[in-house]
This record gives sequence, C-alpha cells and structure tokens, in this order.
Amino acid sequence: MLSREKLKYPFYCMFHPFDGFYEVRHREKGSVGVALLLVFLFGLSYSINRRFAGFVVNYINPRSVDSRTEVLGIFFAVLLLACSNWSITSLMEGEGRFKDILIVLGYSMLPMVLTFIPATVLSWFIAQNEDGLYYLLINVSVIFTVILAMIGIMTIHNYSFGKTLVTLIFSFIALLIIIFIILLLLYLIQQVYTFFYSLYTEIILKL
Amino acid sequence: MVKRKIWIITIVTLIMVMDCVPAVAVSTVPYHTYNYDYWGYIYYAPAAYIPSGNVSGTGAGSGPFNNPQDIFVAGDGKVYVADTGNNRIVVLDSKMKLERIIDSFQYGGKTETFSAPHGVFVTRDNMMYVADTNNFRVVVLNGDGTLDRVISNPTSEVLPEDFVFAPLKVVADYAERVYVVAKNMFQGIMAFDENGNFTGFTGTIKVNITTYEKIWRRLSTKKQREKQIQFIPTEFTGLDIDNDGFVYATNIDADGKQSVRKLNPKGQDVIKKSTRNISGEVPLSGDLLWRMQGDYAGASRIVDVVYRGSGIYSILDFTRGRIFTYDDEGNLLYIFGGRGSQEGTFKNPVAIEALGDTILVLDSYRGEIMTFDETKYGNLINEAVRLRYEGDEAAAVELWKQVLELDSNYELAYVGIGKSYLAAGDNRKAMEYFKLGMDREYYSIAYKRYRDDILEDNLGYILTGIVVLVLAGITVSWIRKFNASIAERGL
Repeated sequence: MLSREKLKYPFYCMFHPFDGFYEVRHREKGSVGVALLLVFLFGLSYSINRRFAGFVVNYINPRSVDSRTEVLGIFFAVLLLACSNWSITSLMEGEGRFKDILIVLGYSMLPMVLTFIPATVLSWFIAQNEDGLYYLLINVSVIFTVILAMIGIMTIHNYSFGKTLVTLIFSFIALLIIIFIILLLLYLIQQVYTFFYSLYTEIILKL
Repeated sequence: MVKRKIWIITIVTLIMVMDCVPAVAVSTVPYHTYNYDYWGYIYYAPAAYIPSGNVSGTGAGSGPFNNPQDIFVAGDGKVYVADTGNNRIVVLDSKMKLERIIDSFQYGGKTETFSAPHGVFVTRDNMMYVADTNNFRVVVLNGDGTLDRVISNPTSEVLPEDFVFAPLKVVADYAERVYVVAKNMFQGIMAFDENGNFTGFTGTIKVNITTYEKIWRRLSTKKQREKQIQFIPTEFTGLDIDNDGFVYATNIDADGKQSVRKLNPKGQDVIKKSTRNISGEVPLSGDLLWRMQGDYAGASRIVDVVYRGSGIYSILDFTRGRIFTYDDEGNLLYIFGGRGSQEGTFKNPVAIEALGDTILVLDSYRGEIMTFDETKYGNLINEAVRLRYEGDEAAAVELWKQVLELDSNYELAYVGIGKSYLAAGDNRKAMEYFKLGMDREYYSIAYKRYRDDILEDNLGYILTGIVVLVLAGITVSWIRKFNASIAERGL
C-alpha cells in the first residue's frame, strides 16, 4: 500500500525539485501509484474548475463539460507524453526509466491540484475587475507545474538544460507520430472489422 | 329573451376568438422562428412577425411589377417602388393602393424616361432621388414631378479613367448630401455634395489579408499571382439613413462577421457591437451558423437594411430569406422570414422597408411586396427596446416580464429586469437575473453591492471575531510561556 512517506514525498519534490527528483531516480523514493493518483486528482480538479468556477470568470459552456472524458483525456495525454519522452530519451542517453518519467509528470502536477479547487472557491467571491487574483493563482500554478516537469525531466535523465529542451521538442514530434500511428491502426482495425462483419452478414443472408 | 342571450354569447365568443387569431397564426408561420443564445446555440422562439399579405402591381392597380429592385417608405407613409423592368417609379399610398406612376420628366426641354431604375429615395421635403442605372445618372425630382437636378459623370482623380457611373442605391441626408452605391465600385459609397459634385468615398471597407495568404502570395511567382483571386473589398448592397444623417449600409461578408455599418458624416463606422456572445462579439451579419455546401449554404448575404427608429434596424438576408433585427447595442432581437413558395416566404428578397410597425419586403422574382405584421411578442420587444433607448428602463420592466412569459429564453429581458432590481436595491435578485441574462458586467456591479451590504451588516460580528481571535492568540502564547517558565523553574 501507499505509505505515508510516499504520499508526502510529492510535497518535498515541489519545493526541492533537484534533490527530490534525483532521489526518485536513484533511491526509489517515488511511487507510480501516487503519481497516477495525482494525475487523477488533477483531472478531477480541472473538471471541477471548468464546471463550478464563478459566473464572472467562467466562460465554459456547462453543456460541454464531461468529467469522465476530461479525466480520461488527461490520463491519456500524460501516458502519451511519457511514452514519447521515453522513446526519445532512451535513444539520447537519458538515464530515466519509464517509471521515473511517469512519476515526474505526476508529481509536477501537484501545484495545480493544490490551487485549482481553492481558485474555484475564490472565484465565487470576486467581481469582474478583481479576477486578476484568480487568473494569477491559476497561471502561477500552471507555470510552476511546467518548471517542475522541466527540472524533473532534466534531473532523472541527467541532462543539461539545453538538451532537455531539444529532447522535449523531439518528444513532441514523437507524440504526433504516435497519435498518427494510433489513428492509422484504429482505421485499419475498423476496415478489418467491417470486412469480417460484411462477410458475416453475407453468410447469414445466404444460409 | 333566450334568443337575445344566445346572440350575446355568440358575439362575445366571436370577439374572444378574434382575439386569439394572431396566437393561432403564430404557430403556423411557414418558416422556423428562432434566435441565438449567449453560447451561439439556436433556440426556437415565438414568431415576432407574421406574414399579413402581399401586394402585387396588379393588386395595387399599377399593372404587374417587372423585376422591381427597391422600395422606399417616405415620411408621409407613401410607398415608392422602383419598378426596374418597367422603367418607372410606382407610388402607392399607405394602404398600398396606386397613387401615381412616374415614368418621365422634363429635362432641357425634352421628355426623358428612366432606364432600369434600381433605387429610389425620398427626403422629408418630398424630393425624390432615383438611381437611373442604365442612363448612368441620379435623377432628383421635386414633389410635383419636375426636375430639380441630375447627378452624373462624377469626375475625380481617384476615379479610374474608364469608370462608368451606374448607380444602384441612393440616399440623401438633411443637408442634401447624396450617397450612392454604384455598380462595380469597390472603393466605398460615393458621396456627392448638394451641387452634385463628387466629394469622395465614404465607409471604405478595409481588406483583411491573413498571414497565411500573405506568405502564400510572397512565395508564388508573378504569373501565379496574376491568376490568383484578387483581394478586393466587398461591394455595398443597400442603404438607409436615419434622421441625424447617419448612413446605414449593408455589404456582403462571406465570413459572417459584419454586414451592416453605421457611417457618420466623416465616413467612419460607428455601429455598436454587443458583447453578449461567447466569442466576445455578436456578429452583425445575420446567421451565426450555416451549412458549408448544398442549398442555402454560406453566410447570410445581406442585401438591404432599414432603420426603424430608436436604434432598431433590420437587415435582409438574400441567401435564406430571413430578416434579422438588431437594437442600438447590437443585440439580435428576433429573426423571421424564409425562402420558399408558400405565402409569406420569398423567392428573391431584394429590399426591405418599414411602414410604421409593418415590415415590407420586396420580392423581385414575384414582383410583390410582402407585408409582415408584428405579433404581441414582437410588439413587446420593440416597445421595451424603445423605452430603454429613451432611458426609461423602469417602464420597460413590465414589458420584459411579459416577453419572458412568451419566451423564457430571452436573455435581454432578464438583463432588463435585473437592471430594475439593481436600481431598487434588491442586489440578490439582480444578480440572479443578470446571471440568467449572461451579463457579467452588471452581475459584477450587483455582486459588489451585495457583498458590501453583507460586510456592512455583519461588521460588528467580524470585528468582534477578529478581536476574540487576537486575544485568544495572545492568551495561548502567554500560557505557553508561563508553562515553559514553570517547567524551567521545575527543572
């Protein structure tokens, strides 16, 4: 089960990203379970923010919010990002394992998990010219997350900053390729399925 | 005695039934009546106007119209029809019966006729301006039919050498400045002074070239560039003018963003756009959604505009034959009309005018004027907007409430009612209504007042709470210190 120490570790990583993520890679301090839990919590708080943010700051059509799709979508996005990053870094002398990448991505979401729901609550009590505070909270947490993820990727692969940027750009290209292949695969599967289905109907009708 | 009673009952019943007729007709208009909500979704609304008849040339008593292109309703209620195919101007009275036909005038000792007149306009002092298209001139006639002046052959450095002046639509303001939409003139509306001298273009529409198109043009060779479509501004299609001399002009916008402009005498567009839309701006271009191909595809093709007073104006969509009405703030008030072959639908709607609260639409294919009467729903909206325009928002509230009874999706009505609650100091109710009307600005005002009230009412408790907390904190720290010192001494 998840130990208390493992649950507390993301907080340590948030404020000591270099040391924290180093120990994730080399001393097994991280936990994939906790990382996935954080991804789930982020998906949830993101969806809650979209649906329940105050009227003044909420430009989302409530009819377009679907929490299940959003949570699953975020899981899918994290998984894709981890896969693409792993596939690139394993070719470019990155030391991190797939597990480490997943943990970095999950743990770096902690600032957003911590601020999205308080920001949502805050948004109920503000007027239109006071929305700066709300957007500040949201933006700071997003930037914090991005910085954490950058540092994390850098640390676990033992990269320089420049190399991290290059690998991230390559990861993005790899991500597009993965999506393309998935779509292609789905299309082909559908073709095969329709072929066998029409075969089946043909036989049924002939019998 | 019994017989008399039956008579009375019959008459009373008849009167009641007669009262219901518009309500019955509402559900049987030959097109969908709808509107767009804040999110840009279509919702079905009651009919604001219902078809009430059609006037053909034969019916009016002038002989059939042939491809008429313009109508104008003068201040005295007379209806002027530019009967283009018959080379004449037909004047009808406000009951749509023939009054006179103008097909010729005396010019330089000779009798001259019109040739395919496409536009007609009449000023308050009964001067008639006719866009005499195929004679390449604008003819100005006095009220008695005698010639006042002729505007032709505009000369200017900005006009090309081979320019042919073929006027299509014409309006004139109180200072007898004349604005003309001419065929193949993309630079803007042509403005003439009271002596008929061309003074320049007004309301020129800037061409927007996207970055993509710029890059593409840069990359292509000169030969390719010649073959590409030229980026020319769109043509103006219709004109109207209000009492203060502001020109309302329509143009074709394939993007469906802005098809109507309100030009001040300097030629600047001063039309107001509403922010009551998720995209940040309500497009002034008819439909928000349209299909990309097939029948009736593409953005609304706005061909004419009528200014109806109190900031309200209606524009006519040729593509789907719909009439869109906006208020002075740029809110879409209601939509009605449609294409088809039933009564009350159009084949080729080309011009729109208003005769009091009746809307007249000219159909060039049928050669008929379709009339539309306002329903209770349309009347309530018109009146409420008029009251708001005059600044009497308090009086508009009752009307907005009645609008909501007929159409509970009408966002403007919620805002109107919310404003009255705000003025009355009922901030909580105001917030509720502004939220329903999707008005964040006023909601914020109401919310701030509401929050201030709560803070003010509970100031005593809040201050007491703070004092108690501070005292508690001091006490706790004092006790801790005390304990620590005891422990120290004990050691």
